[in-house]
Amino acid sequence: MKTLRDKYCIVGVGETEYSRASNRTTRAMAVEAVRHAILDAGLTARDIDGMLDYQGGDSTLANHVAPDLGIRLNFYMDVMGGGSSTEALIGLAMGAIEAGMCQTVAIYRSMNGYSEFRIGGTGARAAQPVRGLDLAQVPFGMRSAGQNFAPTFLRHMYEYGTTSEQVAHVKAAHSKHASQNPKALLKERVTVADVVGSRWIVTPLHLLDCCLETDNATCVIVTSAERARACRPRPVHIMGVAGRVSKPRLDFHWAHGPITRVAGYYAKDIVFGQAGIGPDDVDLTGSYDAFTFTTMLQLEEYGFCKKGEGGQYVGSGVIELGGRRPNNTSGGHLCEGYTHGMSMVIENVRQLRGTVDDYCPKAAEGVHTYDYAPGGCRQVKDAEIAMNLGWAMPPLGSALILRR
Amino acid sequence: MPQPVQYRGMSLIIPDNDTEWKEFYAHARAHRLVVRKCAACGLLRYPPTHACPWCMALGWSWREVSGRGTIYSYEIVHHAIQPGFRELTPYAVVLVELDEQRGQPTPDESLRIIGNLLRPDLTPEADAEVAIGRRVRVVFQDLADHLALPQFTLTDEPPQGRVWRLPG
Repeated sequence: MKTLRDKYCIVGVGETEYSRASNRTTRAMAVEAVRHAILDAGLTARDIDGMLDYQGGDSTLANHVAPDLGIRLNFYMDVMGGGSSTEALIGLAMGAIEAGMCQTVAIYRSMNGYSEFRIGGTGARAAQPVRGLDLAQVPFGMRSAGQNFAPTFLRHMYEYGTTSEQVAHVKAAHSKHASQNPKALLKERVTVADVVGSRWIVTPLHLLDCCLETDNATCVIVTSAERARACRPRPVHIMGVAGRVSKPRLDFHWAHGPITRVAGYYAKDIVFGQAGIGPDDVDLTGSYDAFTFTTMLQLEEYGFCKKGEGGQYVGSGVIELGGRRPNNTSGGHLCEGYTHGMSMVIENVRQLRGTVDDYCPKAAEGVHTYDYAPGGCRQVKDAEIAMNLGWAMPPLGSALILRR
Repeated sequence: MPQPVQYRGMSLIIPDNDTEWKEFYAHARAHRLVVRKCAACGLLRYPPTHACPWCMALGWSWREVSGRGTIYSYEIVHHAIQPGFRELTPYAVVLVELDEQRGQPTPDESLRIIGNLLRPDLTPEADAEVAIGRRVRVVFQDLADHLALPQFTLTDEPPQGRVWRLPG
């Protein structure tokens, strides 16, 4: 298998505040996130010559963001898409650099996901006309992500006996992690009983099975391993990447089952093959948690447990801080805030640097207590390999493996 | 171009050049559920697409199907996203596996279609009646001269396989 293992690095990460009322444009937020990532890397505007971003008609393009910071670009591309784009664009950045088109690429996502274009389909999106393939679902009151995914989740319960209580452990674990994250929108810990006791949104999803629509911008910077050595932070190496891997019939995946299978089934061999490792070698994961179920489905599809045993796996404590392989140590989209996947890569980069921004007084210097009580530490001790499992929908996903 | 059809606050648009859906909905308005049949390999497909996903041939014809099938999965929407659906909540969306071409051309593949589960008079079915395995048949909800939505209603046929609904 062709691999660029360890030849490229993530050298800078940055974001804006997580809020539900940014009161500013996606341009302003993107500029701030990119600036934070450049400063984090110890670079200047002159060092950035590539830019990639993704959006769904809800954000600002690179040709407006780069000039604000005095960046002159040799390459840029604005991509349509949401979740699963993060890892895919990291792979595209590597390709653009490998092709000699540019040397260092800033990748951003900026969205007023609550105050302007709500992800759930309300607000500006609900007024859009229904045509083409949307006619197969939207006229039946099936428009939001939760509504689009729910039959997959329910069928998993039917086929494997997965329970609401098992899956609720994902939210409980991520809320535990968020309680150690000063940036998180929801810092309060919740229990399994809180999740299954919350109101139904669309069966089998309760309110607390769903993530938080958020206003936020995020950025990661990719460059070659040689250039990374000159950057300020410890470089984080890219071992493998799979981008927007799909199941058959991406137009209408219900036509091709099993509908409980998700795209990781196809992506896992690509990403693990490049990296030359297996699931047992991974110290922590960022399995996209648009919903509790998406984390569970991906962890089992990538082989962290057997297919069908995801419910037991996420309920076993293994995905919590202090467990064998914590997932979404920032609190993820369920608790920290929703960023279409970017924040989970940012978190894993900080984990591998050993400088997660928790409540430890010397966190920035890499000194942590490893006391996972509320308001304490969320650094994973001696984390060497981290994996991101990016999700767009059941038939579409991406993946990324990083090492310190 | 025909006027957009207003339905529950949505504008449904089927332009004259919509080669995928326009005739599908004309058949539906005549209360026929049709799918495309490949002229080369003979396999049926839904939704309507330009080429055959199994043999890439471009030739096809419409083929009427029975409209009978089994609930393969479902959801009950309690919190409507679209304002026009709020008065309907809770409402059921069903993924129906049609009887034709079940498990073909591979065991995992079938003709499956999305609709609401309604009573024969097109009012929402009680959510306690919705379950995987229950048998349904198509009914048509007329919306305009050129447009009807295929929907589904329960039949008294014996269920197919294990009947299951989410507890609670």
